[in-house]
Amino acid sequence: MKANTLALALAVGLLPFALRADGLDPALLTRPPVEAWPTHHGDYSGRRYSTLKEINTRTVKNLTLAWVYRANTSQGNAIIGGEGPETPAPGGGMAAFGGLSIKSTPLLVNGVLYFSAPDHAWAVDARTGREIWHYFWRTRGGIHIGNRGVGMYGNWLYFLTPDNYFVSLDATTGKERWHHEIASIKREYFSTAAPIIVRNHVILGVGGDSLDVPGYLESRDPETGEVQWRWYTTPRAGEPGAETWPDEYSSAHGGGMPWVPGTYDPELNLYYFGTGNPNPVLAGQSRGGNNLWTCSIVAINPDTGKMAWYFQATPHDTHDWDAAQVPILIDGTIDGKPRKLIAQANRNGHFFLLDRTNGKHVLTAPFVDTINWTKGVDRNGQPVPNPAKDASVPGTLVSPTTDGATNWPPPSFDPDTGLFYVGTHEAFSVFYLTDTDPRPQGWGAAERHVASVNGSLKAIDYKTGKVRWSRRLAMSAGGYGGGPMGLLSTAGGLLFGNDGSGNFVAYDAATGKPLWHAGLGANTSNGPQTFMLEGRQYVVVGAGDSLFSFALQ
Amino acid sequence: MRLTYPTCATMVLLAALNLGAQQPPPPPPPEGQRPTPAAAPPREPRPEEPQFDAEAVQRGKDLLVARCGFCHGSNARGGSSGPDLTRSALVQEDENGRQLGEFLKVGRPERNMPKFELTPPELTDLATFLHATIYQIGNRRTYQILDILTGNPKAGEAFFNGAGRCSSCHSGAGDLKGVGGKYEPATLQERMLMPRAGRRRGPPGPRATPPWEEPNAVKATVTPPAATGALVRLTDFDVTIYDPETKQMRSWLRKDDIPKVMLMDPLQAHVDMLRKWTDDDMRNVTAFLAGLK
Repeated sequence: MKANTLALALAVGLLPFALRADGLDPALLTRPPVEAWPTHHGDYSGRRYSTLKEINTRTVKNLTLAWVYRANTSQGNAIIGGEGPETPAPGGGMAAFGGLSIKSTPLLVNGVLYFSAPDHAWAVDARTGREIWHYFWRTRGGIHIGNRGVGMYGNWLYFLTPDNYFVSLDATTGKERWHHEIASIKREYFSTAAPIIVRNHVILGVGGDSLDVPGYLESRDPETGEVQWRWYTTPRAGEPGAETWPDEYSSAHGGGMPWVPGTYDPELNLYYFGTGNPNPVLAGQSRGGNNLWTCSIVAINPDTGKMAWYFQATPHDTHDWDAAQVPILIDGTIDGKPRKLIAQANRNGHFFLLDRTNGKHVLTAPFVDTINWTKGVDRNGQPVPNPAKDASVPGTLVSPTTDGATNWPPPSFDPDTGLFYVGTHEAFSVFYLTDTDPRPQGWGAAERHVASVNGSLKAIDYKTGKVRWSRRLAMSAGGYGGGPMGLLSTAGGLLFGNDGSGNFVAYDAATGKPLWHAGLGANTSNGPQTFMLEGRQYVVVGAGDSLFSFALQ
Repeated sequence: MRLTYPTCATMVLLAALNLGAQQPPPPPPPEGQRPTPAAAPPREPRPEEPQFDAEAVQRGKDLLVARCGFCHGSNARGGSSGPDLTRSALVQEDENGRQLGEFLKVGRPERNMPKFELTPPELTDLATFLHATIYQIGNRRTYQILDILTGNPKAGEAFFNGAGRCSSCHSGAGDLKGVGGKYEPATLQERMLMPRAGRRRGPPGPRATPPWEEPNAVKATVTPPAATGALVRLTDFDVTIYDPETKQMRSWLRKDDIPKVMLMDPLQAHVDMLRKWTDDDMRNVTAFLAGLK
């Protein structure tokens, strides 16, 4: 109510715009995102669906640019933190990954957008695109491949850095409150996840599979930053699941990085997320067995850090197909009965639908045509890997590639159409075993990419797993470049995504027909979002180093 | 977007790999005498990559074998009684031998790990070796592909001329003559699977030829006006083709799939084969091609 009143007051010009220090109302987290986007996926469900419909299939033709914010990385007027040197090593940082790419979905709270990139966080006025503050983190190094965003609790912001610091800022000023190291950079951990806040738990996952180190999810205290619990993604001796590894040593060095933010069901009080691939990554000879709980969808109690259930999408993975894609909560109907479901389009090329109360499989269906690594799907809905498709010295031809049939960019579920939307990619690689030691290390094999044969945006009927419509993405002389993309569906009948060629596109959510587009000069690089501000609906998306905002003329 | 792929057998594969004079194929190499592959191009180190003194690495390795190998294995990956040193948190987090040195002064008596007295230069060498090894493990771009020519060249030749139907477009004595000496085996295998580079191959730098100027570029016909050329870019909103005769690019805006674009991929047979190859056939044909000198 308070937010509504304020918006109305602002709309009629009664109040000057001011940053409010009372921060985020936690009640917003359990409602559909309308005048706020208070958590990474907009709400806890991960649907990335908005009830807004001012912008719809009829009006979208009038959508036009409201503002552009080009991410400012200068240290000049920044608030500076961090443990690293003043001058970073040349060629490192984001430069090693083709420059700044906004992969973060901004939060919108009280009219301000908060977002991040490796070593940076910004606050921007959502009406004008003006920068309010910029925080710069002096890094000690680490892989600067991306950062998925910030989390908010009251007036405090949280984000992770490539050199594995958990940093808290004052949302009003951008000033740092404190930072804590959550993992060792020397062991090649790096952190990209957006913190997800559930009550007084800040939930974080670590990343990094270059060396054979253990993966874990943590909950930390929003006031002090101290650890509340830590859950290792692989079992230790005596725990159930330990029998899926040769010994505790291989399990404790078995990776499983939970690097993508998950979803949450407040009624069941379960946090859902996907775990990463096992280590060594492409050479499985020292880790015979299914390697639980890697490549799994896991439900965890956020108060205790205890696992409620798991579903392993890829047993004994040897192709880097983590299950870190967003598991979306669907309150649906199967065989006439209302069900609490969870759905994921997995990097290994299969769509999984589970009962989210217990993790029992409802259906499994491939969503790409080139899968050649399985012997089929078993009665529990798990694909059965074909060991002949493991990396070999003379080379093994496999599809999907390590990039996966899809990847981390957030998909969307539209309850109006009943369709699960996902950007997909069909490609082949040859996997060469390079480490024939009985105890291989790191990745243990090399991959040579052979060809991309298709990139498509697909709409999957969640009840059947069948692809209802599929739209080919842009093609260039070199083949298909597009595929995985951040998506947003709305009650206006629209699906926002890209075309794999630098266009931001509004598709008809029912048919996949493109209704509107804007060339942004780079593919969209984050999840698009929409919100109502001062009586006007905005659509905001990141592409490369810029954030673009659109509204009706 | 709606794309149409006409089948055009005569166009398929004509441009794949390199054309050469027709000559009878050389005999396959005798058992055990594999062809010498061309070397992979050297890789430029990235500016932020740490440099390790090669001599110190070697001295450190010798020291490890002599003093630590009995328990930790001669490659430091662990042995009968000692753990893998390259996975050790203590070693991974060590800074130039400092923490390692402190540890070695005491050892770990409760686990029968004795203390070691190393001179400061010895300690530096040992740490350099261990850190260089860990760096190599963590950097998969530096992994060396092993000897991949394990296939049976005769079986490969039979597949080439038979079930694989490669010989409907290619000939070992003709366009593929000498191909085995031209590429190192993994690149040869990759080109066999897909002659067109989807992702750039080789060291960083500009492409010698833009992909649309390659003879095997995808052909596009844009109607209206029934213009034909090599595809540069096709989206729902525009299409660009390259006319090799005039060396001009032409582009049109598109709406509702108009103008229509018909694509013809000279490498469609290679694309289709990706779903059909068995790994044995792939390895055998690679071995056959590698023998074409």
